[in-house]
Amino acid sequence: MTYTYDLSHLPEAAKAVLTGISGKTLLFYGDMGAGKTTLIKEIAKQLGYNDIVSSPTFSLVNEYDVQNDKLYHFDFYRINDEKEALDIGVEEYFYSDHWNLIEWPEKISNILPNRKNEIIVTQNIDGTRTLKINACE
Amino acid sequence: MNEPIYILGIESSCDDTAAAVILNGRILSNVVASQKIHEEYGGVVPELASRAHQQNIVPVVDQALTKAGISKRQLSAVAFTRGPGLMGALLVGSSFAKSLAMGLDIPLIEVNHMQAHILAHFIEEKNQSKPNFPFIALTISGGHTQIVKVSDYFKMEIIGQTIDDAVGEAFDKSAKILGLPYPGGPLIDQYAQKGNPKAYSFTKPKVGDLDFSFSGLKTAILYFVQNNTKTNPNFIKENMEDICASIQFTIVDYLMDKLKNAVQETGIKEVAIGGGVSANSGIRNALKNAEKNLGWKTHIPKFEYCTDNAAMIAIVGELKYRQKDFSEMNVSSKARMTF
Repeated sequence: MTYTYDLSHLPEAAKAVLTGISGKTLLFYGDMGAGKTTLIKEIAKQLGYNDIVSSPTFSLVNEYDVQNDKLYHFDFYRINDEKEALDIGVEEYFYSDHWNLIEWPEKISNILPNRKNEIIVTQNIDGTRTLKINACE
Repeated sequence: MNEPIYILGIESSCDDTAAAVILNGRILSNVVASQKIHEEYGGVVPELASRAHQQNIVPVVDQALTKAGISKRQLSAVAFTRGPGLMGALLVGSSFAKSLAMGLDIPLIEVNHMQAHILAHFIEEKNQSKPNFPFIALTISGGHTQIVKVSDYFKMEIIGQTIDDAVGEAFDKSAKILGLPYPGGPLIDQYAQKGNPKAYSFTKPKVGDLDFSFSGLKTAILYFVQNNTKTNPNFIKENMEDICASIQFTIVDYLMDKLKNAVQETGIKEVAIGGGVSANSGIRNALKNAEKNLGWKTHIPKFEYCTDNAAMIAIVGELKYRQKDFSEMNVSSKARMTF
């Protein structure tokens, strides 16, 4: 499914993602500035996280306590090699049964879990964003 | 005379494995795992790897002790970074610190990485004055942007922070948009010094009084570059210095706006900065000007104490040792930690 929104409708966009997926692994594709982190912030909020969601580009992974669960927010932007992701122990996070929201998953395409939802964020000429949500089977 | 207090500090919160030895406020050694260490040990440097901490930690600690000219038996305590940071990376440092403290039968001291960035100002250095309480601390790096009100060594309050990207990330990602290699923050600074800071203007993001947002600025720079390269494909190349100067000016001015707000709201005119972005010439000059024009007292630590390092962990270790604030052996690492 696809969903187009402007920033004032971010909560609805996050809801569309949460209702359109199955499972807890979400991959976010999109150029720098497309709005991946902004969307993830809203999703985390709707899952019950009330604190600041900042970019994990430097830290690679941020952990948030959401309602009765944990959410891992990854950003693989700055890694050069899949091996580096294995070295930080991503498998332990991916197969933990917690939420895994992953920015720049294309950097680690060979080691992503099988059960995953793809969310492709594109920015339109008028500034709105379009989400293409490919839910896992 | 003071009894000699030797503290070993261990830092492993993100990419770098580091160890340092401090003796009564003075750093005797400050080692960060580097190409050189790996050469000595015949290994390869993984660019980014928590498992690399496991390879690094013994040689790094070993070298810190050797450089300090002491044996491990002379240590009074072992201090380590408990958090915040990357869990796998933190665990290596904490396990090692616990084992060493237990083996030597000396106290174990946990350190908050973000507090350490601030308390690095209390390392004894020639020609460096220490801040007086209370003061305002601005921590700026690739992972952090925080304004903290510091009332005492361990009485700190975060009064402002970024709600999205960190300032170092804003620099690095702007550089990437301009086609510079990542991380390109220092390159922006280099080009900026030759350019006109008023050549282009970018709107400063609007958030709370003391909070920061850099995500929108990144997008604004992206649009600006896209629009201009449409009409002139060589736009970036021809105007690199002016573009970098304008980006740097916008970011530094934004940081200074927030600091001015913090000074005004707290009435505290003493300002200390830390974190890797403290090396930026724009922010250094802006602080110097604030001393002259606004009557602030400002502090910038030596660069090696600004980036992630173990000297700052060691100084906090010493401050806590003097207060007999020790940790239990069952203390666990924490990826997220506030003050």
